[in-house]
Amino acid sequence: MSTVNEVGQLPGRRPRNRAGAGLSGRETMLLLIPALLPIVILSVIPLVRGIYLGFTDSRAGLGVPTTFIGLDNFRALLDDELFVNSFKIGLIWSFAVTAIGFCFALGLALLLSQELKGRWLARSLALVPWAMPSVIVGIMWKLFFQPQAGILNEILRRLHLPGETTDWLSSFSWALPAVILVGVWAGMPQTTVALLAGLQSIQDELHEAAAVDGATAWQRFRTITLPQLKPVIIAITTLDFIWNFNSFGLVYVLTEGGPAGKTQLPMLFGYSQAFEYGEFGYAAALGSVMVLVISAVLVFYLWGRLKETR
Amino acid sequence: MIVNSNPRRTRTAQYLLLFGYVVFLGFPLLWMLSMSFKGPRELVQLYPSFIPEDFTLENYRLALTEENHQFVRSAVNSLKVAILTALLTTMIGLPAAYVLARRKGVITRLGIGWILISQMFPLILIIIPLFLLLRDLKLTNSHIGLIVVYNVWALPFVLWMLYSYVRGIPPDLEEAATVDGATRLQILTGIIAPLLLPGIVVTTLFAFITAWNEFFFALVILESPDLTTLPLRLAQYVGIEGVVRFGPLAAAALLATIPSLILFTIIQRWLTRGLLSGAVKG
Amino acid sequence: MRKVIVLGALALLCTVLVAGAQAGKQATVVKLKFATYVWQPTTVAANKHIVESWNKAHPGIQVEIVPVDVNSVHDKLLTSFVGGTAADIIHDEAADIAGFTQQGYLANLTPLIPKSLKQSIPKDIWGTVNFGGKITGVPSLLQTYNVFANMEIFKAAGIKAPTLADPWTWPEFRSIAKRLTTSNRYGVCWGLRSPTAVVQTMSLNYGGQFFYLKNGKWQFEFGPKDQNVVKQMHDMIHVDKSVDPAATGLSGSAVLPAFFGGRCAMTVAGNFTAQSMILQSPRGFNWAMFPLLKGQTQQQVANPQTYSISQQSKNKQSAMFFLAYLVNKQNLAKLALGDWLIPSNPEAGQLARKSTKRTGSWKIATASVVHFRKGNWVSLADYPRWKAEVSQPAFVQYLRGSISLQELEKQLSDGWSRIRG
Repeated sequence: MSTVNEVGQLPGRRPRNRAGAGLSGRETMLLLIPALLPIVILSVIPLVRGIYLGFTDSRAGLGVPTTFIGLDNFRALLDDELFVNSFKIGLIWSFAVTAIGFCFALGLALLLSQELKGRWLARSLALVPWAMPSVIVGIMWKLFFQPQAGILNEILRRLHLPGETTDWLSSFSWALPAVILVGVWAGMPQTTVALLAGLQSIQDELHEAAAVDGATAWQRFRTITLPQLKPVIIAITTLDFIWNFNSFGLVYVLTEGGPAGKTQLPMLFGYSQAFEYGEFGYAAALGSVMVLVISAVLVFYLWGRLKETR
Repeated sequence: MIVNSNPRRTRTAQYLLLFGYVVFLGFPLLWMLSMSFKGPRELVQLYPSFIPEDFTLENYRLALTEENHQFVRSAVNSLKVAILTALLTTMIGLPAAYVLARRKGVITRLGIGWILISQMFPLILIIIPLFLLLRDLKLTNSHIGLIVVYNVWALPFVLWMLYSYVRGIPPDLEEAATVDGATRLQILTGIIAPLLLPGIVVTTLFAFITAWNEFFFALVILESPDLTTLPLRLAQYVGIEGVVRFGPLAAAALLATIPSLILFTIIQRWLTRGLLSGAVKG
Repeated sequence: MRKVIVLGALALLCTVLVAGAQAGKQATVVKLKFATYVWQPTTVAANKHIVESWNKAHPGIQVEIVPVDVNSVHDKLLTSFVGGTAADIIHDEAADIAGFTQQGYLANLTPLIPKSLKQSIPKDIWGTVNFGGKITGVPSLLQTYNVFANMEIFKAAGIKAPTLADPWTWPEFRSIAKRLTTSNRYGVCWGLRSPTAVVQTMSLNYGGQFFYLKNGKWQFEFGPKDQNVVKQMHDMIHVDKSVDPAATGLSGSAVLPAFFGGRCAMTVAGNFTAQSMILQSPRGFNWAMFPLLKGQTQQQVANPQTYSISQQSKNKQSAMFFLAYLVNKQNLAKLALGDWLIPSNPEAGQLARKSTKRTGSWKIATASVVHFRKGNWVSLADYPRWKAEVSQPAFVQYLRGSISLQELEKQLSDGWSRIRG
């Protein structure tokens, strides 16, 4: 991201960014208010309230008072092995889905920007997961993995490959990988589209020049494409990681966090605390911890990347 | 477009890879298509076949007409909510994104900071306070309440996208226009909007899809069956203990997917006509 | 002259009466919301019909159905209670209302229940909705776990089916399962993905309650009578090898393809599975539902569907009027037939049996009413949490052979201590 210049600063490095194009304070406010107002009321305030709830013993019950209890929820969380487990699963899931998804999406985006016949089909299909609500994606893959009447095991059986009786989504060792696969599938569209858009904004002349100079495709990719793509890559993998860590609907439909918590993402744990047991304060505290963990990971990641680009 | 001067061998490899992707992406969908044409007996068969042995359209009929055409009604509801969300979000977001991109300063930094941070918040943190707030505003169990929530929820991402697009436009045009005496509104509608059209289209599409597919908020906010959206309706096909009525579910899911797919197929041609050049920059 | 006065008086009287009636009508139309999670098309239709007939007959009390998604009943109810938007009449199940009762969201029905309703349902079933003297729900429909058998396989092996008068004991069940296990067929396919319910329900065959009141606190115990059923299940899988080991991954309905395909001779499932048998089995598939298995008794835990009234409701008396109508024997029979569940009211059971052609399984189902008993765990508020977080994974692991019986006991017991606090 480029540096931000203050309005009115002498044009030092980049004269172009001197634009503020004379936006007056009043204009600014007028343009911002329609967006600002709903955000403050329906996003900021509930959020602050939600964070506050984490410090109380708020829970379901007619006429049950809510009292401030400080860090008690957080202390209880650290002691709760289900909590620790859900975070472990959450991190594994997020890293795996983001990384694998990125590789798949990059490959697809690269292919789609080649002049291959029939790529319209791949392009349309790449968008399919987007067109389906995550609930349906979950149910669809559940059918796919069903051990006896599902198609995966039938294919394995016909190809005489092992695993034809495995119940993938109930297996202690295979549930998480299976769920990760679905996560990758469901995340293909956004990453592919972003990378594709990024690829297409890279100037062709540079490539032609390099090709004339005799550089191979791989070299071209490494020295021209990749660096130009970097900002997009950073942006989309960051967002993907966040979305994945906070993911709920897809895994809920697939496994409801089972078997025995092997696929219980943090949001699933939080949901059951809030909506099954009515432990609102506890769930809110969990939410706050989730934010802290994500921030920590991101700071680490972005710092590393930004250092590189300098 | 990446210029291609690859030898034939690489070509074959590329086609194979593309085929692999097509299978990976399309296979589950094909399987669901196959299931949608199977009768209830065949769906519990031990060794399922890919091609339905007992082809039937009953599932589609059931899906569409059950419970007084509930499916069609929920599709219409989803459409209404999604379109309104998409339009509103873009209309609200464009001016704000413009400000963020053009005006440097504290507000901009706060705004961008907020966009990034709000992406991180798990729904679990907001959902209870939000629900109680909506209840006090008497907005629960209403489409208006849902649209408002969706707008707020989609805004950060919409702002982010439009912000990137606006930044891709050199400010010289606006400066020139200002010198010529154009008002802010004229600049926005006459210069920015036309240049940004592909970006706006993509952004509106994102907002639409987000609202169309959304499940969690709808689940918590809506109660009446008349108001139900498509994802909620589809989830109702699962009975107790996972006794899923696979046939009607597959049929309904496919029906729900087709309009989105058509929409996407049309839009994606736009996406790759290079109209996005310069639009997405970190 | 007198005629005029009389006529005038009559006219006046009529006017006053009519006006009074109108005013009365407008002033006292009670509107009730009835939240229900019925989802089977047959039950939905029956429910609608019942409500419509009530509304026609009672213009002063109008009921509106609010459908609730069957998969998120608890969550939806919780949000509606917290949000203050709960319906007046609430459809749920006994094990679930324990928590809501403790949280104070459900009205105490004890003073409201009409005597006739009270007497129409057996005492043991009322016990399941009684929380320390407070009754917060009316039990409606129940299920049992029964053995279903592929009668072709039985015939070929020359084995006779058990009858109501002469049911199988667990040892008999085990030995026949073993006999029917061959190289390409299992004796039993059992959907044990969520085993807690079936284990704890059937453990009552040996008197196993798991939770016992000692010194005013509910303690978890895993003595011989509690262990019996789950140990037999484990041994059937790992010692007899008569149960398909893939069992612990599959739900009750997911084993049906194998059962229909002849991969196993029997399956154990809820009695309502008879409906799936009828609708989904291949043409000509010869199946039968057997009477309840016997340990020391044939008792099974009752965990009925319930109808409760919200504490926040402003029309509790009217709601109860409707409730009593909803579960009268004709209507209950209709609902039972729709859901393929057993009515709590034995007379409704008889009516149901008489109104259906499928008498075989219904005869056995309705005969089970006498075997329902209260399970202590149904009424414990902390139970759902223990079930989801502790017992499900623990039982699954034990049945898979990953942990021993001693370890199972330790996990269950420690888990209860942790949750109960």
